[in-house]
Amino acid sequence: MTRLTIDLSIIIGGPQGGGVESAGQIALKVFTLKGYNIIGTREYHSNIMGAHSYFHIRASSDTPRALRLPVDSLVAIDAESVLTHVNDVAKGSIVVYDVGSINQDASTLAPMEHSLKKRLEKMFSERGARPTVGEAIKLLEERGARTLDLPLKELLRKVSEETGSPLASIARTVNIMGLSAALYALGVEFPYIVKAVEAQFGKRPKILAPNIAAARIAVEYTHEKYGARNPLPDGPHKGRVRMIVTGNEVVAMAKIVGGLTFESFYPITPSSDEAHYIEENKYLDVGDVFRDVGLDKLSIVTLQTEDEIAAIGMALGAALTGARASTTTSGPGFSLMNEFISMAVEAEIPIVISLWMRAGPSTGIATRTGQQDLLHAIFSGHGDTPKIVVASGDHVEAFYDAIKAMNWAEKFQIPVIHLLDKYLASTSVSLDEWDVDPSLVEIDRGKRVYGPVKDYKRYEITEDGVSPIAPLGFNTMIINSLEHDEYGFVSEDPIDREAMVLKRVRKVETISKSIPETEKALLHGDPDAKVTIVSFGSTKQAILSAMEELYREGVKVNFLQVRVLSPFPRDLVSKVLAGAEKIVGVEANATGQLSFLIRAHTGYSVGHVIQKLNARPLYDIDVVYGVKRIIESGVERVVVNSGS
Amino acid sequence: MARRWLDYKTGAWVQWCPGCGDFGILNSIYGALAELDIDPTNLVVVGGIGCSSRSVYYIKGNNVHTIHGRAIPIASGIKLANPELTVIVTGGDGDLLGIGGGHFTALGRRNIDIAIFIYDNAVYGLTKGQAGPTLPLWARTKALAYPNIQGSVNPLLLAFAAGYTFIARGYAYHVNQLKGLVKAAIQHKGSAVVDILQPCPTYNDFMTQEWYEKRIYYLNEEDPTWDPVIRSPEDMKVKAPRILEKMLETGDRIPLGIFFQDLTKDTMEERLEKAMPGYLRTPPAKRPIDVKGRITLHPFKIFKDKLLET
Ligand SMILES: Cc1ncc(C[n+]2csc(CCOP(=O)(O)OP(=O)(O)O)c2C)c(N)n1
Ligand SMILES: [Mg+2]
Repeated sequence: MTRLTIDLSIIIGGPQGGGVESAGQIALKVFTLKGYNIIGTREYHSNIMGAHSYFHIRASSDTPRALRLPVDSLVAIDAESVLTHVNDVAKGSIVVYDVGSINQDASTLAPMEHSLKKRLEKMFSERGARPTVGEAIKLLEERGARTLDLPLKELLRKVSEETGSPLASIARTVNIMGLSAALYALGVEFPYIVKAVEAQFGKRPKILAPNIAAARIAVEYTHEKYGARNPLPDGPHKGRVRMIVTGNEVVAMAKIVGGLTFESFYPITPSSDEAHYIEENKYLDVGDVFRDVGLDKLSIVTLQTEDEIAAIGMALGAALTGARASTTTSGPGFSLMNEFISMAVEAEIPIVISLWMRAGPSTGIATRTGQQDLLHAIFSGHGDTPKIVVASGDHVEAFYDAIKAMNWAEKFQIPVIHLLDKYLASTSVSLDEWDVDPSLVEIDRGKRVYGPVKDYKRYEITEDGVSPIAPLGFNTMIINSLEHDEYGFVSEDPIDREAMVLKRVRKVETISKSIPETEKALLHGDPDAKVTIVSFGSTKQAILSAMEELYREGVKVNFLQVRVLSPFPRDLVSKVLAGAEKIVGVEANATGQLSFLIRAHTGYSVGHVIQKLNARPLYDIDVVYGVKRIIESGVERVVVNSGS
Repeated sequence: MARRWLDYKTGAWVQWCPGCGDFGILNSIYGALAELDIDPTNLVVVGGIGCSSRSVYYIKGNNVHTIHGRAIPIASGIKLANPELTVIVTGGDGDLLGIGGGHFTALGRRNIDIAIFIYDNAVYGLTKGQAGPTLPLWARTKALAYPNIQGSVNPLLLAFAAGYTFIARGYAYHVNQLKGLVKAAIQHKGSAVVDILQPCPTYNDFMTQEWYEKRIYYLNEEDPTWDPVIRSPEDMKVKAPRILEKMLETGDRIPLGIFFQDLTKDTMEERLEKAMPGYLRTPPAKRPIDVKGRITLHPFKIFKDKLLET
């Protein structure tokens, strides 16, 4: 039996704050309703209004692992979108644009990056033309795109007349028009668009009516001008309840179901949305789940603090009372947290820090992705500071890792840094109930003792390095950031000092022994492949997708995904690398941070690296290109750079 | 059986210099705790880093010796996660008003029920006498090569601007009067601060015992009708000018006592209870998170805003 594989990618561009985000969400809903799996990400400037942003989505009857370039449709209802994405479009794709923008020239587009203008000037001057929308459309047509011109001004007036809404209040519906035209041209039936728009704006009827009118008017126009399309068949995932969720949200959900009771944070992209989602759900109706203990509402204290130092400080304070506590941040905030991470190690306080990496150094590009904080996370905190660093490869991993991170923090009384990034933060995927099943993970709070303990020693020397932990309020004790004896009392005694250093370091072995191997690192693909890719974090799905493509082209590679980066799974990684002929690191940083760790821990050199440094997500085409270059030329470093 | 001050004393050697004002402050705290009959297992003393912050070793409690300037965030997390604990902060002027000044300000806005005791010696004692944030402009103490070219912050005005609901000033060698202020601060519901003038005989040879004792006087002794308590917005209008005038008084005369006590504001704990009824009964430290180790909540059952029926 052959099944028709449908695999569609779309970019929807437009000025920030102008409705691109809603249009993207609607597109995700349309394809989910149609029975497809989706993935979609938002790329935007560090700006509130006006700069170019876009939503990149992919829908597939299979599982779309990663975003795909070039796309099958570009919805570019402003000039900047047409010109920015002129090279992102596949042959045969559908490009929707506004007739009214045709004469606009890149040089007149105020928000457009200066360098992009120059590149466009150069590219079009080679054709003896100006970088205008008209010329871009001509070029796209030459390259085999089907262009669909919408007279937006006229259509907008029609929407206004029909709904009685003033023009100014419905300006944002142009996104829905562009999207609807593209969807219709791709074969999506109008009722699906209506359903998705309703799901998006359901609670706001004033917005709903003009958007539905806009969608219909755009579809009618498309139908009249281009005729009926072959309907897109339904995908295989119809007839059930599905979830569309971003990485930020899925981590928030995991924390909530995993027993978080306290989260303090300071706003920073791309971590804020995680905290906001917890805040939105901080007072949850849970029916009779906790009826036995007399609870029908779950409360979580969420607090926006004065800075990241206070954010981690408060979470540590809460943890001392026995609360499950965490904080969330990105590179700049994590820098501020360093001294407290060191204290969490010395004073042995459980804490989870969700670290959503973005493009640094410094403020760098606040709203774009990268993997530059791996070593920062591992080496955070002065002194010898053993800790756990775990990196998630996708949404499902992020969900389980977030729960496990809270367990590990409490079990080993240590900071756990959950490494994520901007790409995961603002990427949505469709999930099923079984993808995020928290009953697969137990809540483990380690050696916790409630009630008074005779002669309680908070820092009792034990074989595994972990002491019984009593929350504040039952005994008397000292929690100490200074070196101390078993009672926590300050001590500079050489014997005490040595014993405490060794006790804390012994946890590393305890952790290594107690985390299952499969959770530390995973070898994907044929173990006998000659080429081994090593990577960590959100590059996972793009690499897996690239492996499929490489396989089709006859190139066999496997992929070692390192999940727990501290304590480093030395033996496991050594074993895999021992059999590899070529080791190719894939990382979104320039200093080869994972390569450095591998070399330091195993002695194996990562001979080749594929690096993504343009602060855009890693695409499978990047990996395919990089691997092929390395195999063909033996070059050490390939910098890959797709994405607009 | 009521507790005695000795019930709060630990066996630790108190390692301050002879004659240090910190001894007086410690004794006042012992006395206040005893008179309030606070159970040490329910008491949390949080210190930053500095000579003064070492008080955590000398008072029986569930104490936390944190890092420099960061006692307030730790204390805030503790109190919000378990409001049943009595939480006090002991720290120096450098710790609380210098490096930790941002947290000091933020606590006032929150009005969490915590009492802050500033051991204010106007120098960085533990690091050997550098200028503290309360050292007056042009003052030259013996560790300074040149007179101080940075001005001083007024802790009381800063606390007032930040929103603290209890503001007092005491003097380290007046153990009995100070005990009264410490007691009132702990009893006050909301963020309380007592700025405690404390001679540092080792490093501050400018603001000495003699220097202070020539200047200090008690507000309620000078004016028996002195009433710093705000019970209504009208009270605030009527009393604020006089309160601010007294807070501004420096130089030859330094007033001591309770300057301001605002009873009109909710504590943050009360605000949380309003936002999430039940919070006080099962605060973060006490709320069940599992049923016999199992997670019984499923995202599909609770985050319905993200669901779509296909
Ligand atoms: C981040 C950091 N910076 C500097 C120090 C060094 N340090 C220790 S105590 C202190 C100042 C103490 O002054 P204060 O808080 O007024 O307390 P005092 O000793 O006067 O009681 C400093 C700067 C430190 N421990 N941590
Ligand atoms: Mg001082």
